[in-house]
Amino acid sequence: MITVHATAALAQREFTRFVRQPQRVIGSIGQPILFWLFLGTGFTGSFRPPGMEGISYIEFFYPGVLLMLLLFASIFSSITVIEDRDQGFLQSVLVAPISRLVIVFGKILGGALIALTQAMLFLLLAPFIGLVLSPAGTALELILLLLTALGFTALGFLCAWSMKSTAGFHAIMMVILMPLWLLSGALFPIQHVPPLLRLVMETNPVTHALVILRLPFYHAAEQLLSDKDFLVSLFIVVIWVMASIWLSVLRIEKREKGISY
Amino acid sequence: MIKIRRLTHVYPGARRQTPRPALLHFNLHVEEGEFCVLSGPNGSGKSTLFHVLCGMLLPSAGSVTIGGYDLFRVPRMVRRITGVVFQSPAVDKYLSVGENMALYAALYGRSSKAVGLAEALEWTDLKNRLHQRVNTLSGGLARQLELAKCLLTRPKVLLLDEPTSGLDPASRRNFLEMLKSIQRKRAMTVLMTTHIFAEAEEAHRVVIMKDGQLLACDTPSHLRSSMGREMVVVVPSNPEALALALKQDMDLNPLRFGDELRLENVGTTESLSLLETILSRYRSQIHSVAIKQAALEDVFIHLTGHSAGIHPPHSDSGPLESGFLGKGNEESGRPVETEQ
Ligand SMILES: Nc1ncnc2c1ncn2[C@@H]1O[C@H](COP(=O)(O)OP(=O)(O)OP(=O)(O)O)[C@@H](O)[C@H]1O
Ligand SMILES: [Mg+2]
Repeated sequence: MITVHATAALAQREFTRFVRQPQRVIGSIGQPILFWLFLGTGFTGSFRPPGMEGISYIEFFYPGVLLMLLLFASIFSSITVIEDRDQGFLQSVLVAPISRLVIVFGKILGGALIALTQAMLFLLLAPFIGLVLSPAGTALELILLLLTALGFTALGFLCAWSMKSTAGFHAIMMVILMPLWLLSGALFPIQHVPPLLRLVMETNPVTHALVILRLPFYHAAEQLLSDKDFLVSLFIVVIWVMASIWLSVLRIEKREKGISY
Repeated sequence: MIKIRRLTHVYPGARRQTPRPALLHFNLHVEEGEFCVLSGPNGSGKSTLFHVLCGMLLPSAGSVTIGGYDLFRVPRMVRRITGVVFQSPAVDKYLSVGENMALYAALYGRSSKAVGLAEALEWTDLKNRLHQRVNTLSGGLARQLELAKCLLTRPKVLLLDEPTSGLDPASRRNFLEMLKSIQRKRAMTVLMTTHIFAEAEEAHRVVIMKDGQLLACDTPSHLRSSMGREMVVVVPSNPEALALALKQDMDLNPLRFGDELRLENVGTTESLSLLETILSRYRSQIHSVAIKQAALEDVFIHLTGHSAGIHPPHSDSGPLESGFLGKGNEESGRPVETEQ
């Protein structure tokens, strides 16, 4: 009981802080929309991959932008891990009689819910390019978005925990988190890349997140739940989320130890 | 309640620095319901000790049990009964006062409408500011919030690291009175660091440490009398005349402070007879006369050799037996008398 209560309180705190920093709200919603509009309209004229006739680039890119939106929202949330440490709030949490899983999950859940809210706003734009979700499809898509957001925030948490400064985290984010997105098939379809790169992309869990996020726009939810490819990707994403959370808990359980004297 | 045995901590320092122990073989037992004050010069390891006690640092060696629980084996049991106030701020700046309190209560498994809220805020100036964000509070008010929130969860053991730094005198007194009354009422065990000796006077026991080691540990009055020295303070009608008379008749060298004359550095056994002699001889010229014990601050400076720039007593002469370095001695530039 205390566990649920404390997790909810910590997650709620993330949300409150987010809403109270208007720049964060504007930045995190505006940025993906701009990316989508500029890259989408720019590429639409020249981009015609074989086997994908009938899909404009702006439509192809849409799930990729959803994914990017989750990624950036998670990165912003992870930066608050470093802020919490700098501003001392983390001390209060670490001495509280709650399990370390609650600390990790409160933070991650809060970040993921913020990301999900942003994604929901972005979903409102889908009908304008002809992507329409059924009620069941919407429900499935939202669950998948939340799951992916948890994966990203957990990964962000893991990277941010050992960071001493936000500047250091920006550097890490560019070499670890961004490439995960770049190599997910968000920008270009996975089918036509060189074999080695394809192997890398297929082992990237974010690729599978993109697969499961894209499918509900084109297939009915009931159909997907018995589709083997969908289920395999879903399984991989679940493993990714659980592993990241587990590693985060292990990481924060490690306390600084004095050297022997 | 708190048992610390041979605690040693060495921070893994930068590679080129030779590591220095922040705590060295530190022993301390704090009884249940005891109010214990810890003091020591800057960098003596007080905060390090706190970080170990609240389970954020694993020491190099030693053992700690709090409330019978081994801190390093079952930290969660210890956390459940302990409240901590850190030296540095530990509240969320973007949340309001009330939200911070509610969040803190939630972390300890209490409802946001906890019964203790009114009690915890009673002594503060925050009662009408529950909806104000912390980043718009003054430094002292934010500090009050830190203190109020640790009282909210009704801990059995309370650890406070320089809790009153930045508070105005009235809030400081209000907080201490609140703390003491709660401490007595609930038989709470309190371990608090401070550099303010007026606060230490109120404690059951005062611990003085330096360089990570314990120098002294006793009640405030024992510590003061252990200096073995007292001061006779006379308020005469004509200070100059009396000073001259004391010099000529009794070969005494009183120091003048305003309209007071002070005879410092008097042995505890002689001070009473000195007072009697003065009183019998100069009764008509004297408004009042009193014996004052050495202040705790003097004990501190004496033991740690801090502001006077002298070295602490060596271990071969027990720390409390060596000479008394009174404040007035430094001011008047008289040579320091050391009697064994
Ligand atoms: N994170 C750290 N890494 C390395 N050394 C540290 C660290 N924190 C403290 N120290 C060192 O440990 C020693 C004790 O520091 P500590 O903060 O415990 O002192 P303190 O008694 O709390 O002082 P103050 O009265 O100034 O608060 C100091 O020499 C300090 O430089
Ligand atoms: Mg300190």
